[in-house]
Amino acid sequence: MEFFVSQFISSLSITSILLMIALGLAIIYGTTGVINMAHGEFVMIGAYTSWFLQTKLGIGLIASIIPIFIITALMGFLIERLIIRHLYNRLLDTILATWGIGVILQQFIRLTVGSELKYLEIPSYMAGSMSLFGQQVSIYRVFIFLFAIAIFILAWFIIFKTKFGMKLRAVTQNKDIASCFGVNSGAVYSATFAFGTGIAALAGAFIAPLKSISPDMGTNYIIDAFMVVVLGGVESLIGTAASSFIIGSTSSFIASFSNDTLAKALVLVIIILILRIKPEGLFTRKIRS
Amino acid sequence: MMKTNIFKNIFFLYGIFCFLLFLLPLLVDDPFYLNKSSTYICFGLLAVSLSLSWGYTGILNLGNAVFFGLGSYCMAMSLKLKTDAVHTGSGGLPDFMVWNNVTELPWFWEPFYSLSFGIFAGIAVPVILAVILGYFIFGGRASGVYVAIITLAAMIVVYLLIMDQQAYTGGFNGITDLSTLKFGKLEFDAYGASAYNLIVSVMTLVLFLTLIITKSRAGLIFQAIRDDENRVRFLGYNVGVYKTASLCISAGIGGVAGMLYTIVMEFASPTFLSVPLSLSVVIWCAVGGRQSIFGSFIGALIITSGQGLLSESETFLHTWTLIMGLIFILSVLFLPKGLAGIFSRKKK
Repeated sequence: MEFFVSQFISSLSITSILLMIALGLAIIYGTTGVINMAHGEFVMIGAYTSWFLQTKLGIGLIASIIPIFIITALMGFLIERLIIRHLYNRLLDTILATWGIGVILQQFIRLTVGSELKYLEIPSYMAGSMSLFGQQVSIYRVFIFLFAIAIFILAWFIIFKTKFGMKLRAVTQNKDIASCFGVNSGAVYSATFAFGTGIAALAGAFIAPLKSISPDMGTNYIIDAFMVVVLGGVESLIGTAASSFIIGSTSSFIASFSNDTLAKALVLVIIILILRIKPEGLFTRKIRS
Repeated sequence: MMKTNIFKNIFFLYGIFCFLLFLLPLLVDDPFYLNKSSTYICFGLLAVSLSLSWGYTGILNLGNAVFFGLGSYCMAMSLKLKTDAVHTGSGGLPDFMVWNNVTELPWFWEPFYSLSFGIFAGIAVPVILAVILGYFIFGGRASGVYVAIITLAAMIVVYLLIMDQQAYTGGFNGITDLSTLKFGKLEFDAYGASAYNLIVSVMTLVLFLTLIITKSRAGLIFQAIRDDENRVRFLGYNVGVYKTASLCISAGIGGVAGMLYTIVMEFASPTFLSVPLSLSVVIWCAVGGRQSIFGSFIGALIITSGQGLLSESETFLHTWTLIMGLIFILSVLFLPKGLAGIFSRKKK
């Protein structure tokens, strides 16, 4: 029993991190069809922005949430306007362009901040651990879990309950017809890209205290995030959450009797096998296109 | 009657190019630069392998370096078992196995005592992986994005496994201290003209082989699949089989390039099948022109030799990567057919 409880808690912890990283990617991919290979670098930029705000300007982690989101969303907006915008009619090339953007962001950080590892401390009021179902759990991990859920609900609310979300869904379903009804699809795409970038950066800011910060940290996350999106199918937020949980719990289960590296390799193999049977992902509705 | 101009014959032009490369050892006496040139040609072959699958068949293989790396490891395993006793434990056990307390050679290392098996495996292992990948990707009719992601993931799986199984693969350090390649009395010194000539000979072979493939019936079907997959399917071709075949040829060439690279570098390392190398290959092809075998090859030569010339200082290398990223984006935006696109446009 104890094994299952501790398994469940550790898988929820992995799930929340995966969900935060994959959510931005899923929203961007689901709406614009852009395969954002620079997503890992957006996570990295978020971690560095958080590091900068906390160590150089002395702003706390919670207080820096909004500045981080605004700075990185602006960056995402600019990238969309300058580069991605020109590639909507050849989407496969966005893989290449965003990969190039990732390289540039990585090198930029390496040249300005340096390539040595940076560390951020967990805020003192969340440093301890608490008792949960007879298990000692770090408060910070509980906080991340709650925050991931909050971001998820926020994204759901924006997409399904606001006017912007309605335009976004319209553009996702059929860009041309939405444009005919007066929806500015270009603006929707820009906003979506900025929003996805901001969420990725927040994920980076919250992961940073758990792990070290380095210019190439993004590459560790990009594949995980893609696996979540690919397994969950592109068009449902619930699918993203569910596949985060599936991947999170599977890797935490495998890691419990082998090691993290082997767990990651095995999970990737399992997903490739699943995609052979369900190439469109697990949680897709059949719609006529 | 049609007049054939010999200088417009592509076979003739390829021949002249290869012949010119054979002359390089006469001009360059410095073993260091000869060795460098050999490595650039190996990368050129890797670019050719990607050009065939991506530029000609439309398979955006983001994990192309895995074939290179596997070929490289197969060659390294064979050469490792041939090293002098200084670098080995009791009974010729490789040094890193001794450090990891492995007492006897694992079974899958045994056949690599034979160099010819090593060379065979250097092609066969990547091809087998390509068949498996092809079955899973194209059997499920995965579309563009999924192909890119799955190939990338597959490469990372292999990379993680090699890093994890340190006792059998050398892990992070790779396989080092290799012997030079020897066939009977023929010895290929990595810093001499012999290894260079070997590599240029193989390159000539590969370039002509790919040229013949792209001009063949199968090559035309590859290009048709790239342009409109469904139409080819409607015409009754088994698209999955053709795509897998293209990936296999690409994998074989990648394996060959990896083997040659190990011969001149005298080590194998997990970085040979890492994401950065894969990305570089994509950049070479994109800049050189992915829909042109020769363009990709030249793209790789230009970029890697440029990198080699500038990499003397650390900061310059970092700035170079930044510039590469920029060139890459610009070429994707404004020059989708790469440098080769400029020349073919002029011809018309």
